[in-house]
Amino acid sequence: MEITLKHLTKAFPGDAKKNMPDTIAVNDLNIQVKDGELIGLLGPSGCGKSTTLYMIAGLKQPTDGEIWFGDEEVTHLSPEKRGIGLVFQNYALYPHLTVYDNVAFPLTNLKVLTEEKCHKLIAVRHKRELLSHAEEIVDIIKHALYKNKISKELAIQKLIAKFKTITSIASYLFKLKLHTAKDLQATVDKEIESLNAQEQKILDSLAKKNKKVDEEGFLLDENGQRIQVKRTLRKDEIDALVQEASRLVMISEYLARKPSELSGGQQQRVAIARALVKKPKVLLLDEPLSNLDARLRIQTREEIRRIQQETKITTVFVTHDQDEAMSICDDIVVMKDGVEMQKDHPQAMYDNPKNLFVAKFLGVPPINVFEGKIKDHKVYLGTECILESEKLTEDKDIYVAIRPEGFLPANGKNVFTINVKEIITQGRDKSLIAEHGSMTGEQVKVIIDSDVKVDVGPFALSLRLNKVFLFDHESEERIEF
Amino acid sequence: MESKNNWKAWLYLSPVLILMAVFTFYPIINTIGISFLKNYNTLTGANDGFTFDNYLEILMLKPSFETAGGFVIYDEVFLKEALPNTLLITFVTVPLSIFLALAIAIVLNSIKFLKKIFQTIFFMPYVTNAIAIGMVFSVLFDNHGLINFIFNSNVKWLFPENGVLPNYWTAFFVLCVYIVWHSLPYKILIFVGGLQNIDGQYYDAAKIDGASRFKMVRKVTVPLLSPQILYIFITSLIGGFKEYTSVVALFGTTGGQFQGGFGTMKTVAYYIYDYIDNPTGLQFAAAGAVLLLIIIMFFTALQKIVSKKRVHY
Repeated sequence: MEITLKHLTKAFPGDAKKNMPDTIAVNDLNIQVKDGELIGLLGPSGCGKSTTLYMIAGLKQPTDGEIWFGDEEVTHLSPEKRGIGLVFQNYALYPHLTVYDNVAFPLTNLKVLTEEKCHKLIAVRHKRELLSHAEEIVDIIKHALYKNKISKELAIQKLIAKFKTITSIASYLFKLKLHTAKDLQATVDKEIESLNAQEQKILDSLAKKNKKVDEEGFLLDENGQRIQVKRTLRKDEIDALVQEASRLVMISEYLARKPSELSGGQQQRVAIARALVKKPKVLLLDEPLSNLDARLRIQTREEIRRIQQETKITTVFVTHDQDEAMSICDDIVVMKDGVEMQKDHPQAMYDNPKNLFVAKFLGVPPINVFEGKIKDHKVYLGTECILESEKLTEDKDIYVAIRPEGFLPANGKNVFTINVKEIITQGRDKSLIAEHGSMTGEQVKVIIDSDVKVDVGPFALSLRLNKVFLFDHESEERIEF
Repeated sequence: MESKNNWKAWLYLSPVLILMAVFTFYPIINTIGISFLKNYNTLTGANDGFTFDNYLEILMLKPSFETAGGFVIYDEVFLKEALPNTLLITFVTVPLSIFLALAIAIVLNSIKFLKKIFQTIFFMPYVTNAIAIGMVFSVLFDNHGLINFIFNSNVKWLFPENGVLPNYWTAFFVLCVYIVWHSLPYKILIFVGGLQNIDGQYYDAAKIDGASRFKMVRKVTVPLLSPQILYIFITSLIGGFKEYTSVVALFGTTGGQFQGGFGTMKTVAYYIYDYIDNPTGLQFAAAGAVLLLIIIMFFTALQKIVSKKRVHY
């Protein structure tokens, strides 16, 4: 599902009496998200990224502009009609419900248009099919030990995982007690016989009611077409979907627990399962990793990427952490004060920032920004001319931004001298902390190869020009050179 | 906490403990003691020794009078009037008032406009004297009162007229209205406080999941509010069993006289107060109080057991 935001604006009304102006949280935002893409909304706190997400979700009404899902305008549609899944920053799992009930909750409200089937018939056939794996079933049950005793819960859980089936059928398999049967084959044969009888009985009763059914168990009308009905989901159908979603996010073992008994990462996955269980067209994630510790954050973000790739669901991901956004997103939108700064692929944005804000926002350690000026096609930092280009026609003050990795040992060209204060060797690289008269921040950070010999004091370096960006002093827009 | 520092804790607790010992623990023990004494004299403390008769007479297991002619007279007030009245009042008004308070609290919590004014309005009965409210109700439901005037009816709500007694159930209805109305504000206050603590994201999540408003209340609000609901349930159940002022406020110190029902509106607490006034009947009041204590403890314990499954902290 493609998402298109057209001139999206959100203003929170101010108070004229108290002289408070309106707060424009989102200002004329135009974004297009392609089908199956994972897009990151990135920006500092208060930049309007979460507001944008909540407007897409329908929990906040835009002041102006339109939201389109594919060919459908959803701007004024209520949240439940948009077919979205939303993962909240603090998960918002219902604390009084088990993980299973949390994940099942969206399904209990759902009304679906579906082809009517004869569930009893399908269940009987499914049971019979599973019984052909009798030995495997016995094996699984015998290995489902808890404190050296066969645990019913564990066995059912393992059967569900193995045969990708539902709770009621797994519990039926367990109750057959195949693991205690003296003659396994005889027991299975007997059960299959009884299932055959059941099937015949169902078919007879269908025939009596003049109902036709096809091979897969779908009910047919007079013309042999499958019958469409609108109804709520059955318990078994809900179970199947819950099991499927929990397999996807790997929480099958925790279904019986309460959210408070899970770790942060597990709660996160439950929240994702709850968002995905009704198979939404759009998945929205609001800072989903901010409550996790550093290690889990990296693990979970890869997990999110995997789930997104597996389900091919269009995903909008809100974060203030550029690292997160860069590592998993197809495209990033950097926002500031409700305005889109730049939209591009992560690497392209890093290599080619449109303005000073984007340049500063992306990159660890952050980019070094200097006060410089253009004079006679040359760029000066202090008294040193660091580069020269015919394209720089106008003499003016500018910002010169240089990535920490944008330095090379001095080779005579584009030389730039800094006053090194501290040298930190980190195996592969060397970090220099240095000073420079025109630096806007406090310290210049330089990362160079650890082989380069450096001493504390004035030190000359050459620049890698593709890591140097010039920005206008007034508009902070990029100046190409 | 290390045990050698305990004396400090006890010192800090001592003012409360002393007051409770004098005004709560001693009276309880004394009451239990008196309830087992025969012919206790309130003024002198004289008695005829230990007996179970007080309980047996209250519970109509032993006649309170035996005349020479072999006639026996039982004390029927406790078992046939006070106890049924009390149970009826409690089991009608407690669920009703909790349900209403919850509904009003939810509505109050979801409106923005005039919220403060409505909160004040609903809190008014709490700061109004019970007897004063009773007098207002008496005027409203007088045989020539406002209610009959407005509805142009001729119902004898509370008081007899021309020697004809009012129906028990109309009087009971008025009593319930009075009790529910009077007990609402405190419950609403507690519920609104609890509701404000529920994270709005649960509702956002439920909205996205397509839950209806009613389902949100049932599946999100009520479970998350269950600690407060339990607290209110226990306290109002105890309050219901001790109901007294409302009866006095509406029907005066006679407990009323009605056709049908249980005849009067006397409650267990009413029965106890009645015998306190009687200089030779304190042992019956004491026995009644002990029985009431046992009843309240039974229902509170029952609730604690039920709530273990239903309350989510």
